[in-house]
Formats: sequence, structure tokens, C-alpha cells
Amino acid sequence: MRKMLSLLAVLVLCTAMAVAQNRTVSGQVKDAKGDPIPFATIKIKGNNAGVAADANGNFKIELPANASITVSAVGFETTELKVGSSNSLSVSLQSSGALNEVVVTALGIKRTRNSLPFAAQQINGEDISKTRTSNFLNSLSGKVSGLEIRQTNTMGGSVNVVVRGTKSLLYNNQALFVVDGIPYNNSNTNTTDQVTGRGGYDYGNAASDINPDDIESMTVLKGAAASALYGSRGNNGVILITTKKAKKGLGITINSGITVGKYDPKTFVKYQKEYGGGYGQYYEDPTGFFLYRDINGDGVKDLVTPTSEDASYGGKFDPNLMVYQWDAFDPSSPYYGKARPWVGASNDPTKFFETALNTNNSVFITGGSDKGTYKLGYTRTDDKGILPNSRISKNMANFQATYNITDKLSATGMLNYNGITGKGRFGTGYNDKNMMTNFRQWWETNVDVKEQKDAYFRTGKNVTWNWADPSDLTPIYWDNVYFSRYENYESDARNRYFGNVMLNYKVLPWLNLMGRVSVDNYDELQEERQAVGSVATSFYKRFNHTFNETNFDFLATVDKEITKDINFKGLLGTNIRKIHNQSILASTNGGLIVPKVYALSNSLSPLDAPTEVNQIGEVDGVFAGATFVWRDMVTLDGTIRRDASSTLPKGNNVYYYPSGSIGFVFSQLVPTATWLSYGKIRANYAQVGSDAPFYSTTDVYDAVTPINGNPQASVNGTKNNSSLRPERTKSTEVGLEMQFIKNRLGFDVTYYDAKTFDQIIPVAVSTATGFNSKFLNAGTMQNKGVELSLYGTPVKTKDFSWTLNLNWTRNRNKVLTLFQGSQNLQLATFQGGISLNASLNQPFGTIRGSNFVYTNGQPTVGANGRYKITNTANEVIGNPNPDWIAGLNNTLKYKNWTLSWLLDMRQGGQLFSLDLYYGLATGITPETSGLNDLGNPSRNTIANGGGIILPGVTEDGKANTIRVSNTNFGQYGYRYSPNARFIYDASFIKLREVLLTYSVPSNIVSKLAPFKGIDFSLIGRNLWIIHKNLPYADPEETISSGNLQGYQSGAYPSVRTVTFNVKLNF
Amino acid sequence: MKKLSIIILSLPLLLTVSCRRNLTDINVDPKKAGIVPSNSLFTNAERVLVNTTTSSNVNLNIYRLIVQYWTETTYTDESNYDLNTRSIPRGIWNAMYRDVLEDFERAKTLIPTDVLDPKAQANDLAMTEIMEVYTWYYLVTTYGNIPYSQALDINNPFPAYDDAATIYNDLLARLDAAIGKLDANASNWGSADVIYGGDIPSWKKFANSLKLKMGMTIADANVTKAKSTVESAAAAGVFTSNADNAVYDYTANPPNTNPVWVDLVQSGRKDFVTTNTFVNQLTTLNDPRLSLFLTQDANSTYSGGKPGASNNYATFSKPAVKLTSPDFPGDILDYSEVEFLLAEAVERGFNVGGTAQTHYNNAVTASIKYWGGSDADAVAYLAQPSVNYTTATGTYKQKIGMQKWIALYNRGWDAWIEWRRLDYPALPAPDAPLTATPVRYTYSVDEQNVNFDNYTAAASAIGGDKVTTKLWFDKF
Repeated sequence: MRKMLSLLAVLVLCTAMAVAQNRTVSGQVKDAKGDPIPFATIKIKGNNAGVAADANGNFKIELPANASITVSAVGFETTELKVGSSNSLSVSLQSSGALNEVVVTALGIKRTRNSLPFAAQQINGEDISKTRTSNFLNSLSGKVSGLEIRQTNTMGGSVNVVVRGTKSLLYNNQALFVVDGIPYNNSNTNTTDQVTGRGGYDYGNAASDINPDDIESMTVLKGAAASALYGSRGNNGVILITTKKAKKGLGITINSGITVGKYDPKTFVKYQKEYGGGYGQYYEDPTGFFLYRDINGDGVKDLVTPTSEDASYGGKFDPNLMVYQWDAFDPSSPYYGKARPWVGASNDPTKFFETALNTNNSVFITGGSDKGTYKLGYTRTDDKGILPNSRISKNMANFQATYNITDKLSATGMLNYNGITGKGRFGTGYNDKNMMTNFRQWWETNVDVKEQKDAYFRTGKNVTWNWADPSDLTPIYWDNVYFSRYENYESDARNRYFGNVMLNYKVLPWLNLMGRVSVDNYDELQEERQAVGSVATSFYKRFNHTFNETNFDFLATVDKEITKDINFKGLLGTNIRKIHNQSILASTNGGLIVPKVYALSNSLSPLDAPTEVNQIGEVDGVFAGATFVWRDMVTLDGTIRRDASSTLPKGNNVYYYPSGSIGFVFSQLVPTATWLSYGKIRANYAQVGSDAPFYSTTDVYDAVTPINGNPQASVNGTKNNSSLRPERTKSTEVGLEMQFIKNRLGFDVTYYDAKTFDQIIPVAVSTATGFNSKFLNAGTMQNKGVELSLYGTPVKTKDFSWTLNLNWTRNRNKVLTLFQGSQNLQLATFQGGISLNASLNQPFGTIRGSNFVYTNGQPTVGANGRYKITNTANEVIGNPNPDWIAGLNNTLKYKNWTLSWLLDMRQGGQLFSLDLYYGLATGITPETSGLNDLGNPSRNTIANGGGIILPGVTEDGKANTIRVSNTNFGQYGYRYSPNARFIYDASFIKLREVLLTYSVPSNIVSKLAPFKGIDFSLIGRNLWIIHKNLPYADPEETISSGNLQGYQSGAYPSVRTVTFNVKLNF
Repeated sequence: MKKLSIIILSLPLLLTVSCRRNLTDINVDPKKAGIVPSNSLFTNAERVLVNTTTSSNVNLNIYRLIVQYWTETTYTDESNYDLNTRSIPRGIWNAMYRDVLEDFERAKTLIPTDVLDPKAQANDLAMTEIMEVYTWYYLVTTYGNIPYSQALDINNPFPAYDDAATIYNDLLARLDAAIGKLDANASNWGSADVIYGGDIPSWKKFANSLKLKMGMTIADANVTKAKSTVESAAAAGVFTSNADNAVYDYTANPPNTNPVWVDLVQSGRKDFVTTNTFVNQLTTLNDPRLSLFLTQDANSTYSGGKPGASNNYATFSKPAVKLTSPDFPGDILDYSEVEFLLAEAVERGFNVGGTAQTHYNNAVTASIKYWGGSDADAVAYLAQPSVNYTTATGTYKQKIGMQKWIALYNRGWDAWIEWRRLDYPALPAPDAPLTATPVRYTYSVDEQNVNFDNYTAAASAIGGDKVTTKLWFDKF
């Protein structure tokens, strides 16, 4: 394939020597990366004579002695140089702005940005790897317009990567990852329970296996026109990753970094310090706040904490009050049998968090000659999270080699291996293995976390503060958090092989053929444990999963000048994709027999049959594309693809998707306008189709464990459909790119409108049919929006430069139709009685729950002084979609110092906080205690001047004046409030990244043979949340990647990290 | 060279064409069955039905709280009639339509192809039909008008609702037809029937007892129909002892354990205590079942919490160990209940034989013995003026209502239906009720979202989709 234009750049000069008279000099024009620049103009200075370079940048020119030449090309800065005595020249041009960036587009075809008729944003690999995060997806946040990244705060958690909004009502909306032309699986194994906040681990998404140090560049193809060649998989946008290529000569790069992380207190609970454990004033002693038992046997009843009560609406702290607490019943405790002063804990749960530590070391070696090149890389990262007993280690090896069999035929092989092991990933959602549920929702403020730690390490047992009763020392709702971390841990391992072999045959200068077989294969094992002695029944569970995708590709490309002015590029290809996904999930039943033996054979009751999944699918595609470029000014692009999928019914399983685009560089019409350096408009239209989920065309039964030898089966709740058709997306896009004042300022703005219709979804039907849902083609979702990239260089001098870059995205999403009379498609239900929904004429993912009853726009308070609540929990109370998201990056360069910082912003979007729904009810946070409007403790009984007046109006519209009791739990939380009270604005402004790099000056490095470059970096991530409206938590925190966003339960705090990194080039 | 290019360029097309085998043939799930024997569906549906009526899961079956046998200790939402937070009406609706009726219905369609003997087919169909009628009875008495004639048909995703009384008459006709088809001399489901093990005489008694119950349910609304139904059921032969009870024997080990054990014991939670409403009645009446129903409280006596209020778990009596054991049977219809119905029938002037007092005494005795009491306990209990049928206070509805409420302990759903019909005993308002005591369930919230037009029509037909809307059989 012909080499095309260039990448970002530095000027390299050629050597000049003495010259003879009028000789022919041949040369090549290249960019900073060494890629040829086609059609450059070479002129002899002081003489109008000149020649044009060919498509490969080669030129021949007759020169007089001591001549100087000027070399110019669109998008590059014109360079003047004096020709020496050599007869061959190599001219490097510096890119002017980003226009000549070579952008890798669908199927790995490189094009200049100038000729792109659709939106595609490229990021330099350096910008991703330099932040040294162990999951490179996190470093994309704020860097690309149209791309929404939502990250979890769990160690190794999944990252939501959505381009231009949610399109599919129920299925995958994650962007497709393609590494060197090969699809890279990015699924995750998170269970339905996990994503709906009912517990389980977020095992992360598979794209995090990609080694950031191996990324040369990344392109985000946003619209359907850009990605149509990928077929249905390109529907959600494509993230193209090009890995580093070997070059001639030997190069070694070593990167070594260490990161420390601390939880951000702004994103965690603050505890009230006035009242201790209990749910209110209804226990045994005369005050009603304590149990009343004779503990020391003196015949007098003693005060005892209600140990079973996981709330903080108990007795008021009073150092003179002696109370028997949980440790009075632990024989190993120094306080065994002793009462202690009734005071708040010295060590609240903030002391539970540890310092996170990450080390990241990589080495890359490249080498090569005319006969071939190779690359060898190894990276090791170790992550220790902020929770005790948590770590993830990755070993990544990358190998690639190309051998030029002949001038025309080359062979390439590539193999990447990833080995990932995890232990003690963070429990998520509303679950006993997520301590955040405990700390944020159900906690006694008198419990000292450090004492719990000591108790566990003293005994190795589940000595919890949460005894069922002082007379029944079994844990009731919550395990000792340290017991839980060290005994109820998960472990996992994934081995992945990703590789290909490829033959490339350059038949003619303008015709290239490529054949490739590639494999993406991984197997993983996830083991989960519940120790004997926990609150929950002990178990051992294992999940084995194997994924395999094989692609067979054949691609013919043509690149030819049809006339002097018109360049034609054509391609014709075929792709056969086979997927095989297999898993088996098995668990013990009824508990474990022998403690700490985590084996299926250690099951108390006979095992239920394991759940087996075996999915096989194939898509056969053939595609063609043509691009005409006229004078680098007008680009016309057309593609068509035909797919035949195994998952659709016979006869309906073939579908086509066409796309057409046009780009017009209008600035070429006004070359004299000095203020306008560049201007292009572009427009395109595309249709893509999608196939159905596996096995949705034929009905099956669910097997149920037999009873006493009698088989049991049940009709599956989803009715499949043998007449499904492919679903479709139609999208249009227009864009404008302009650059001004010698490219010092520029913008790129895109408007898009995409409708996904005939969606293949199990539509909700009345359950009176005997089914939950039926697979149908139904439902239309629209996404339209604006993407804006703005870049400028306000200051640029020899030593100092300041550049800034803004990415702004606004997506509007709306459910246009559902199935027939359906008003709503429920996506999932959650703890707290709320649901996420696709509701007719609403944005996707609306939060439904109970609402206030409003009078004149004010919440109505009933005669009992409490809020009136709607009859159903079916009111739309929130919208999780942001109004806009933006990233603003500033870079300052002074000599060898670089300082850059990235502000990441989200405006709007709401979430429901189960943490506050419960946590405000159980009296954990300061607003539930303190003084009321009368200046009395609000938790006093009303008779004693306590109680509070809820803001709102009574049914007659007058301001509420009824005082309600705040003595027992619940007043501020869920108990007497509609769900709507716990909807929060999820906006934020974060200082996402700060980077300070010092590159040792080359004159020093040159003395330090064998070094070619030494960089020191100090990197901070998530250092400062500048603004947010959600109390006690990170508004960005989510339970898992996927379509269900806008719900927090047991949210983890964000982690502020600082990294020190050294990069050495040899 | 040109030729070569053409050949090479056409390769992709050739490749694709050569792949044109039957690609779609691989789209069949190799791990799931496309066809199953009908008996496996019948067994599953029978088990799920009993589980649903037996369950005490706070996300599904909260009838014990509504009729104030139990109350919640800390999280008192459902005890205060909050049905929304945990979408209770939806849980019951889905369980009955999707998990029970659909499997029974599918079994019926498969019987003709996988049961060869036509007589066995008839038995299997009749037994399935009786279980379906049983299930519909709960749905129609819980919600009122419901999808019926258009239900269980996936080709009609939005079924219209039928009038409850009309459904009810059809159910009675279906029950009669099914009873007529039961043939003791032919084979049938056998052990796949996990309640009676395929014993047809027991099934006849069970079906007639159900018919008796269904007839009596409409005694206030349609006395003519009630009378004929009750009389024909009694004449055909109903339960005559606890040995006839329709019970599902749970096992001591998972997965087929009693769901109450799962909720109360296995979970380790301390969510429920009994109510003072219940304990006070039992105490006042010196009921021998007090110690059989409940554990002793902190003071080694019996006490209950105030319904809906925050209650300290340690302070009050809790459900007895017997009913929280994993293998405690699930009871869906029993002899004591039948005798109460007969007593009421006598009072209403229906011709079922015996006196009201005899049936009442038999009912109370059966209940005491079912729970582990002795004949002597029953005799002593019935001898008390406050219990004795002739001397106890109130009308027959009051007397039977009180004793039936006690006897139906642990069977909250049935107690709730009877309480609505008999209006006794009086249930005090809980601590912070959201509504008056519910007399029906609101429809599943999904019906509003999915089946909106039919839902709206049904809600308006019954007088509003509220828990306080009285249903057709509940006249007083």
C-alpha cells in the first residue's frame, strides 16, 4: 500500500555538501515520522522553476550549483533549504496544525485529515500512556469530543465508553475497539445482579488488556459513515488503536513509574459525632435507647448497645454513661466484660482506607533492517487498591515482526499475551461484601474501625460489632469489615492471546492485496468465596469463561491517479468473523462443610447443575469502498457492506449498509485570505444494520433442579421470534473545520442526527401473557448532538508555548417509539423501589420512582407533617443524561519543561443515591443531628423542644409549620420521603490530570551514551474536584459500565493519585 | 497482469459465495432444551404456586403483615401498607401469571402429544385445570378485574381485562368440568404431582373443597350461585380430616426448603415479631396454640409489638420454631378451613348437613391438632364461654371470623380473603399507615407502563386502582 501523508512534527534537516553545476538531485519529502508527503511542490529559490513530488513524495529536480530550494505542501510549513553536494535529498516538513495528521481510518487505511469527509479524532499514543494509569480507557476522558467515558472508582473496574449516545435500548452501546485492524473484544462478565446494584464484583472490561505503552495512536470514528465498513459492530463508534511499529535500527525504551493514591475525603461520608448506635427510642432501658441486661452478674441491669442495630439514631453520646458494647462480649478484647464511656469512635470508617500503590515498568525494544523489522515489549504493572487485601497484577508481552520476502511481498506476525491476576476486587452495590454499603448506609457511629481490625487480627474470626444480640453472638447483618476483606475475597485470572499473521502483496504500484488471519482468545477464571462464620451462607463459586473470535480478512486496495487532478482509492474486501463464547458457573449449595476449603466438593447439599453457556456465531461480510479526491480540495467517499449473520432467521439474515460522504476544502478557493489558514465543510449519510443476540429466534425451556427424581422445567420468560429482521441506524452528519491566523486558532464542529429503529429487543409485554417480553423489531431511538473541538496556541515563542484544547459534547437522546401502545420499557429495577427506563418521548434511561405531591410547585406536607408521596413509584423523577460534557486541556512548554493540566467537566445529568436514601434515614451524617429551628437538639422529643419542620407547603398552599419527630430513625431518609428526595445533580468539574515533564536536554543526553532521551514526569490524577453538587460522594462513580447509569449504592470514594515516572530511550 | 488483478479482485466475492452454507443453522442454543415433558412443567408450576402462597419474603408475600399476625421490627414499610417500595403487587402478579399459570397452560398443550393413554391424558388435564382454577381464584380475589379470556396468549401482548364476577363463574364451570373428568381407575401424573402423588380420590376431595371455598367466597355477592356451588361441593365430598390437607412436603435440605425458613432462619435476619393484635387475642382466649404458633418473649411469656411501630426484636414473641423449620409443609387448603366453611354454610341456610357448632368445633379441633395440640386441648379450649360457639360473642361472622383468623395463622393470603369477607376480627390501624387496611392489591405497575389502555379501562371499571377499592365479592 502506498504510504501517505504525515503526523505531528519536528523539523529534521538533511546534510548539505558541496554541489556541482546543474545536476539532477532526487529526493523524497517526508513528515516528521518519516512517512512520505505526496504532491509537495519543490521550487528553486529565485527562479520560478519547480517540480511536484509524486504520490510517494519522490521528486527529481535539476539544480544549479549552490541552489536553495523551497518545499511546500498543503498543511505543512514551507521549508527552505540549501542543497549541498549530495545527489539525494531527504526533506522533512513540519506539520502546520493538525491537518496533515495521518489519521488511521476504518480497516487501517491512512488518510490525511484534510481529506476526511467525516468526524474522526485522533489522539497521540503518548497522550494516553504518559498518564501511567493501569487502564488506559480512563485517560481518554475529556480528550475526545463525542466520547463519554464513565469510570468506576473500584480497583480494576469497568469503564463505560460510549460514542454519541446510547443507541440500543437494551444491548451493547460500547464502542468497538480495533487494534491494528483486528477487533478487540471489550465485553465484561458483570452479572445482572452486579449491574443492578445487588452485589458482585466489577471484573472490568476486556479492553483494559491493551498495553498503553504499545499504543502509537488512537482514532475515534464517531459516526456511522466513518465506521460503516465495520458493519454492525461499528454502529456504536470505533476506537482504532495502532500499535507501535518497529523502525530500522535499534531502539530501546524503558518506562518506570510508581504511583501512590489516597481516597478523596470530599467523596466520602462525614459522620455525625453526637449520637451512637440504635434506631431510636424503643429498646429496653428506661431511656429507651439501650438494651438493659445484667451483664456483670451483679443483679443490676446494665446499659448495652443494641448491637443488632445498624443505624446511628441511638443514645446521645455522654462520656459519663458507661455502656457495654460489642467488645464487651469478645473474650479476646481488652474490654471484655467491661463497660466503656458512651462516646463516638476515635477511628471512623475513613481510617479503613489504605494508601493505594501502583508500580508500572515497561521495556520496548525495536529493531530492523531492509529485510524486516521486529518489536518486543514487556510491561508489568502491580496495583494495590485503597481497600485492604486488594491487588491486580498484569504481565503484558508484545511481539511483532515483519519480514520482506521480496520487494513486493511481506509477511507480518503479531502476538500479544496478557496475564492478569486479581485478588480482593471491591464488592459492589447493595451487598455485604461492599463495605461502602455498610459505611454509608448502615453504621453505628460508636464503632471504632481500628478496634474491629484488631479484633479480626487477634482472633482470625468474624468478631463483628453487629451481633444478633448480646446473648446471641452471631453476626446479623454485617461482618467485621476486615474479616470480610480477608476471608470473603474473590480471586481471578485471565490469560489472553491476541495475534495475527498477515501477508501483504504489492502486485502493482497502485494495487495491494492483503490476507490476514487473526485470533482474539482469552480464558478466565473467577472464584468467589463466602467464609464459614459470615452473615451470609458460606459458599464457593467459580466461573470459567472462554472467549474466542477468529477473523479471516482479505483486502484489495487500489490507489491511482486517474488524471493529474483526481486521485482514486478503492477497496474491496471480505471478512469472516467467527465467535465462540463459552462459560460455566458452578456454586456450592447450602454452605461449606469444612471452613476455608474452597472447592465444589465441599458443598453441604448436593450441587445444583452448573449454568452453562455456549454461544456460537458467525458473520460473513463483503465490502467495497471508493474515494475520489480532486486537487486535494474535494473528497467524495462511498462505501457499501453486505453482511450475512448467523443470529437472524434464515431469509432475513442478509443486510446491506451504504454510506456516502463529501468533503470540500473551501479555503483553497480563497488562498489570499491571510486570516483564514484553512476551511473545510463535510457532510455524510450512512445506514448500518445490526443482527440479533444469540439464540433469539427459537424458544427454549429453563431447567429447574428436579425434586425427588421428578424433573422440573419452566417456560422461559422471554418469547423468541423466528421472524426477526436486522435493526438499522440511519445517520447524517455535517461538519465544519476552520483554522485561523497561521493555524494558531482553529475549531472543528460537527452536528449529527442518528436514528436507530426496528431495534431487536425483547419488548415488555403484559405479564398476563405468561411472559415478560417478546423479541420483536420495535423501538426507535434518536441521538442528535453537537461536538466541538477548539484549539489554539495563544503564546508561542522560541522557548515558550501555551496551547489549549477544548472538547465539548452535547448529545440529546430521545425514545421516539416503543412497541405499539407501550409507554415504557423498564430496563431494570433497583433497591429502593426505583427503576431505569426507556420511556416514550423521554431521554433514554429515565429514573422512575415515587415523587413528592406538589402544590404550587412546592412539596406538599400532609396533616402528619410528613411529605405526601405519589400513589405509585412510577413517576419520572430523574434523567441521567448530562446536558454536556467537556474537557479543557492546557499545555505550557518552556524549554525542556512541559506542564499540562486537564479539566474534565460534566454539566447536568442526575443520579439516585441509595446511599443517602438509607444513610440519611439511619442518622449517619451530620445533617440528621444538630439543632433545629428552635435552637434545640432536633433529636429531642417534640415534648422536649425537638423535631423538625420539613420545607414545603400544606395542602392549602400555606408554608408548613407542623413539627415532626426526629427521635427515631427515618425522618431525613427513605422512610417518610419519596424517592425524588434522593435525586441529585451529577455535574462536576474535576482537575483530572496534571503533568509536569522534564526532558533532559539533548546536549546533556548526548554525553550520557547510550541514552537518547531521558524524561522525568510527575503526574497527578483526580487531584481536585473543583465543583460538585452530590454530597459525600463522587458524582462520576457508577456501579458498572453499561446502559444502566444514574444509580449509586455503596459508592466508592475517588482516589487521588500522584505518579513519578522515568522514561529512558536508548 | 490485468487478468491476474481481475482474478484477485473477484476473490473476496468467491470466498463469500463459497461460504453460503446454512449459516443460520448454528443459531440454536446447545445448552437449553427446546422441548420438555409436560410433567416437568406441571411439577414446577405446582411447586412455585405453593412457594408463592407460603413465602414470607418481604418482597413478595406480605399478607401475614396485612392481617397482623406479624409485624416488622425496624423496616416497617409493609406493616404500614406500603406496597410500592418493594412493588409487592407486581411480584404476586408475575409469579402467578408468568411462573405458575403459563407453565400449567403449556403442560396442557403438551399432554396430548406426550401422554399416550387417553384416560391418563384426561386425568392430567383435569388436575392441571384444577390447579389453574386455584391460581385464578387468588388472582381474581386479589386484584378484581384481570386479564383472563385474552390472557396467556403471547400473540396478544396487551390483553384486555375481564369482569371479575364473569371470570369467577367461568372458573366454577371449569372446576366442575375438571372434577367430572377425574378417573380413579386411570393413571395420571403420579409422583410428578408433588402434593398428592397422583391420588385421584384425594384430588376429588381437594377440588370439591376448593369449590366449597369458592362458593362461600361469593356468598354475600351472589347467594344463589353460592348456595348451589356450596351444596354440590359438600354433597360430592370434601376434606374429612387433616390427612386430606393439600400440603407440599418441603425437604430439610436446599433447594426445596420451606421459604419461611429461608427468610427467617437461613438469612439470620431479625425482621419479624408477632403483633399485640394477635397475641392479645390468643391470650384472652387462653388459646393452646399460643405456644405452638409463637416463641416466648424476653420475659418468658408472650407479647407482640404494635403493628407498624418500631419494635425491639428481643422484647417480643416470634414465629415458632416449628413453622420456621426447613421441612415444615406448605399448606394450600386444609380440613379446618373446610369445616369453618361448612359452619358458615349452615348459618347461611345452605344444605350441607350438620350443625354450625359441630362444624365449628371440628374446625377448631382440626387446627389445634394440625399445630401439634391434643384433643384434650381442643376440648378444654372449646369449653370456654368465650370460645364455645353458643356463648361466644357476636354474630356467626364474628365468631367464625375470629376463629378462622386464628386457624389460618401462617396462611396470610387466605386469612386476608376471609377477613375481607367476614369483616372480623377488627384490625387496628398500624402505627403510621399509608392507607386504610388494603382490601385489594393495586395492579402491577408494569400494566400501567405496558398495557396502559386496558389498565385504565379496568381501573375505572372497578372504581379506581386503589387498595381501598372493594371488590365484587366483598359487600360489607
